[in-house]
Amino acid sequence: MVYDLQLKNVGKVYDNGTPAVIDFNLDVEKGEFIAFLGPSGCGKSTTLRMISGFETVTSGDLLIRGKRVNDQLPEKRPTSMIFQNYALFPHMNVRQNVRFGLEVKGMSKPEADKKVDGILDKLGLLDISEMPTSRLSGGQRQRIALARSLVVEPDILLLDEPLGALDANLRKSIQNELKLLQRDLGITFVFVTHAQSEALALSDRIIVMNAGRVEQISPPRELYTRPKSEFVARFIGSNTLIPGTVLKSDAETITLDTAFGAISGTNRINLTEAKGQNMSIVLPAEAVELVPGDTKEGELRKTFGNNVIPCRIDRLQVVGHIMQMLVSLENGDTIHIEGHVDKYRNRLKVGTSAYVGWQSSGASVIGQ
Amino acid sequence: MESKVLKPVLAVYVAAFILFLYGPFFVLAILSFQQGPEGGPQFPIIEWSTYWYRHLFGFTPPSRIAPLPVGEALVRSLTLAFMTMVTATVLGVMAAQAFRRRFKGKGLVFYLIVLGMMVPGVLTGLGTSLLANNVIGIERHWWSTAFVAHVVYTFPFAFLVMLAILNRFDNSVEEASWALGVSPVRTFRKVTFPLIFPGVLSAMLFAFTLSFDEFPRTLFASGRDQTLPLAIYGTFSVEIHPNIFAFGVMTTLFSFALLSVYGILMALSVRRAKKTAMQEDIV
Repeated sequence: MVYDLQLKNVGKVYDNGTPAVIDFNLDVEKGEFIAFLGPSGCGKSTTLRMISGFETVTSGDLLIRGKRVNDQLPEKRPTSMIFQNYALFPHMNVRQNVRFGLEVKGMSKPEADKKVDGILDKLGLLDISEMPTSRLSGGQRQRIALARSLVVEPDILLLDEPLGALDANLRKSIQNELKLLQRDLGITFVFVTHAQSEALALSDRIIVMNAGRVEQISPPRELYTRPKSEFVARFIGSNTLIPGTVLKSDAETITLDTAFGAISGTNRINLTEAKGQNMSIVLPAEAVELVPGDTKEGELRKTFGNNVIPCRIDRLQVVGHIMQMLVSLENGDTIHIEGHVDKYRNRLKVGTSAYVGWQSSGASVIGQ
Repeated sequence: MESKVLKPVLAVYVAAFILFLYGPFFVLAILSFQQGPEGGPQFPIIEWSTYWYRHLFGFTPPSRIAPLPVGEALVRSLTLAFMTMVTATVLGVMAAQAFRRRFKGKGLVFYLIVLGMMVPGVLTGLGTSLLANNVIGIERHWWSTAFVAHVVYTFPFAFLVMLAILNRFDNSVEEASWALGVSPVRTFRKVTFPLIFPGVLSAMLFAFTLSFDEFPRTLFASGRDQTLPLAIYGTFSVEIHPNIFAFGVMTTLFSFALLSVYGILMALSVRRAKKTAMQEDIV
């Protein structure tokens, strides 16, 4: 099987000796939508720029459709790139922008015109095709950039924070368009973002990066439910981590001995024979419930088993139909909890003590 | 309270500025209309006339005052300024392009280039002539040694102008072009150059005007045939007549014409840029 894109131990060290990307391994199948996700400076953009050829690869191999491209110039690679600032040619109108890449391909004029019209039509740009790009909105500009890149029929489309400059509403709608377009064309997309919502909504697989290293490669759902490292658990969603040592584990659950007593989460990592090992419980904010301090202990045990921790309510805020709650634990850790207003209204008071509780199935366990 | 003091002070300052900027030119312009051939280069105006303008073009009956020997010098200076403009601008654009990347000794090279406009002109001129005569052993000409001296002098100006322009240049526009499969050479021609063209015009204007009235470097480096500033200076040493002033007015008008051409080209370019305003404004 020939992958569209392969990175084999790819690394990048800058001239001054700073490592930017360390030992990156990835196989991408044709038509996949891949997202590089991570905080700024994690190496995600550098990796994308290595794939495009704007940055040199200092170690390892980069393959596109089975062919090593380490030393190939950017203009020779079958990739095209979308930039955060659109990077349209300001001295050309919409049609000239889109046509530009075809002019060098030695394509006959009628054929090129037909292709340009086709892609302009597909992206809803035909009506504005003779306009200068400066008069157009951010969303329109990004569509022009897309048309310009897609008309040359790249094997892989690289997108560097393409939605970063758009406002929230527009971002949502372009996100959907992008996803549909990708499905429709069947082209491999590699997408760089620091916004996890974008990565979670768009991609087939997410590569979470931190400090130049790949932390985890997973489909969005799995990344969310099964973080493999502390960094991913803290970076994705809003999780609370409680450290402890393993008391017991079986096929379903792992129980840790923590500062809050024995608490448990799901065993998603097939942990066996690990008694005494240092691990952490990961509590996703969605899995946690807040109950008033005067709840009977028997009732608590019935609902949550041993997964109950006392806390203090610091803040309550109603946003639409959502109640946002901030509580602090005895060790000073704070947890953000969200829930439907109807469930919590009039039951809680700021400054009083309460309990946080969760079902073992809602929490997971990771190594420290 | 503050403005009561500040405003008059600023007004005086501006008035003095304008006086010293345009005063000399107006005095010369007025004196160029002195009566001829008896009238001299001083006030009062005996009688208004265009005698010296006609004298300049050889339309007056022969008199004891020889016509200004500027014809050939003017052609030489224009040619030299044009050659210098083209060479300095091309070099300036290329050097500024190189400075977009990091390379070893970048800082040193920068100061070496800029040194060209810092070193006293007389020294450069003298040095160039000594180098040509004694070291290399070639004759000095306005089109060889003086040309080199002019390029050395104007190149840093063109370089600095282009450096400022390319500093604000959005690299991703070029990268977008490469990513579309367009070669760097074609990208420069079709994308980069049209976008930096206003800067190129400014660099050309700088190089041309600096070369056109260059004196100290040319004095030593130009050899036998004189350029316009040298020819004019040469006439001073004999006797000054208002025909010099008439010529000064003519060259100033020529400069204005040149500036107008620059202004028009710039306006056209800016209007086009406005129509397709730089993308970063919106981002």
